[in-house]
Amino acid sequence: MGKIKEFFRYDNIGLLFVMPAFIYMAIFVGYPIVSNISLSFKDVSVRNLANGEQNYIGLANYIEIFSDEVFRKALVNTLIFTIACLVFQFLIGFCLALFFNKRFKVAKPVRGLLMIPWMMPMTVTALMFKFMFSTDVGIINYILKSIGLIKENIEWLTTPGTAMAAVVIANIWIGIPFNTILLSTGLTTIPQELYESASVDGANKIQKLFNITIPLLKPTIESILVLGFIYTFKVYDLVYVMTEGGPVNSTHLLSTYSYKLSFDMFQYSKGSAVANVLFLILLAVGMLYIKITMEGEE
Amino acid sequence: MESERRLSKRENIICCIVAIVLLLVLLFPLFWTFITSLKTEQEIFQIPPTWYPHILNTKSYAAQIETGDFNMFSSFFNSFVISVGAMVIAVVLAVPASYAIARYKFKCRKFVLLFFLVSQMLPVSVLLTPMFIMFKGIHVYNTWISAILADATIGIPFSVLILKNYFASIPQALEEAAYIDGCTRLSAFFRILIPVAKPGVIVCAVFSFLYAWGDLAYGMTFILDQQKRPITAGIFNFMGQYGTKWSYLTAFAIVAIIPVVLIFIFMQKYIISGMTNGAVKG
Repeated sequence: MGKIKEFFRYDNIGLLFVMPAFIYMAIFVGYPIVSNISLSFKDVSVRNLANGEQNYIGLANYIEIFSDEVFRKALVNTLIFTIACLVFQFLIGFCLALFFNKRFKVAKPVRGLLMIPWMMPMTVTALMFKFMFSTDVGIINYILKSIGLIKENIEWLTTPGTAMAAVVIANIWIGIPFNTILLSTGLTTIPQELYESASVDGANKIQKLFNITIPLLKPTIESILVLGFIYTFKVYDLVYVMTEGGPVNSTHLLSTYSYKLSFDMFQYSKGSAVANVLFLILLAVGMLYIKITMEGEE
Repeated sequence: MESERRLSKRENIICCIVAIVLLLVLLFPLFWTFITSLKTEQEIFQIPPTWYPHILNTKSYAAQIETGDFNMFSSFFNSFVISVGAMVIAVVLAVPASYAIARYKFKCRKFVLLFFLVSQMLPVSVLLTPMFIMFKGIHVYNTWISAILADATIGIPFSVLILKNYFASIPQALEEAAYIDGCTRLSAFFRILIPVAKPGVIVCAVFSFLYAWGDLAYGMTFILDQQKRPITAGIFNFMGQYGTKWSYLTAFAIVAIIPVVLIFIFMQKYIISGMTNGAVKG
């Protein structure tokens, strides 16, 4: 008893405070991670999920998914989706941040209102974009037609290439506020004197942008891109609601394909294997994020 | 850039106009959804489209409190219960945990922190099947509890990581003064530290609520009965059944974002602080 008391006397009392949350997460997140790994080495389908023998079959699921064309397509799609979203939402967010950092009257309230897309349930965003991209009633086709860019209605969500474009656009819409707010905050930390002395030295706006703003924002930019990658790479609801991975698997991401394998086709083990590949890639990129966060800890 | 520089009157006006145009363009999807929800099904399909409802149709909203397939009122209630439940779990567990991480160098502290960081990056697909099997095992499958338990796992790591910064920024002297005045660790935590960190606690509550409110995967996978499902799953279901009933669908969408808009109006500063401190979600 005395020993236990002694152990918790100083810093280790923290363990008592942290334990409830840690145990909760260990049960509902830690255990599932381990169980998902083990599931991916077994042959579990709807047949033997609840009862029946579950055999370990080694790497068979992984070998199978890597020779599965849909999986390879989903992997490539996920990369295209993530990179396209990151590039555009960052560029647009950056321009907006620069603009809203000017001190004009409505800057703050308007920038605030731009946050709304980011807070909305993705299911709702998906519904709105599905409506706007629909072939006959869609406002996007109507606008494109009335400004003369297209003659015939585009079947956005039922044609492979354009379906991907549509989900990318919807996701960019969600991501812009995140980039804008974080970059705006980063911008306010740059000392004004730097710009003033650069002006004295005769630097123009472009030179100031590339020689002052961007270098000083580097840490902010890094964390935005890393986090943006993590959160875009695992997007699920948006694409599932808009296209369910179709048409002909052209918008399947690793997340939606894994869901489909597990909960539409009831091939739980194969679904887990796909989910683990997704997790592994996230973890690799996440190391950067962990490094950034943990460094601040020292 | 150069935010300190005063703008001339003319620049000010131009900037305001540009800002409003940007706002209209970026929030157009919301505006269009709202307008559509007030149109009749016939007017929605009209070409050229009308920019405001010529015949005001509120049937899509009224139908949501009647019984039957178009009822979203009960789904709204389900979502509310689930989100509040997840929020309470997340806040109650995250507050002491983040305090400990900020204040004490206990054993395995780094490992605990790493675990929260990693769990924040997890894709839902990794957790779905094991959770599904687990919830069946503990007989909470197809109840609100399953979604509450699962949704809290999004709020907890986020809250811990945000709140740890709040607690770390409270001067140690404040806590020591409390001890001198006779507070125990526990009473200092409840009576001094939590009140000071209150803005952070609110940020966590708001975000945990929003994450749960926006969840589709958990609610849809762990709850089968339409009567118990959250509104996101209800909308998804309805889309599958009545694909193009846009008057109803857009009305559901508007109803589903009411809490989001309310939170935005009353808690905007907390939202922005949460985004910049936690830098979560894309």
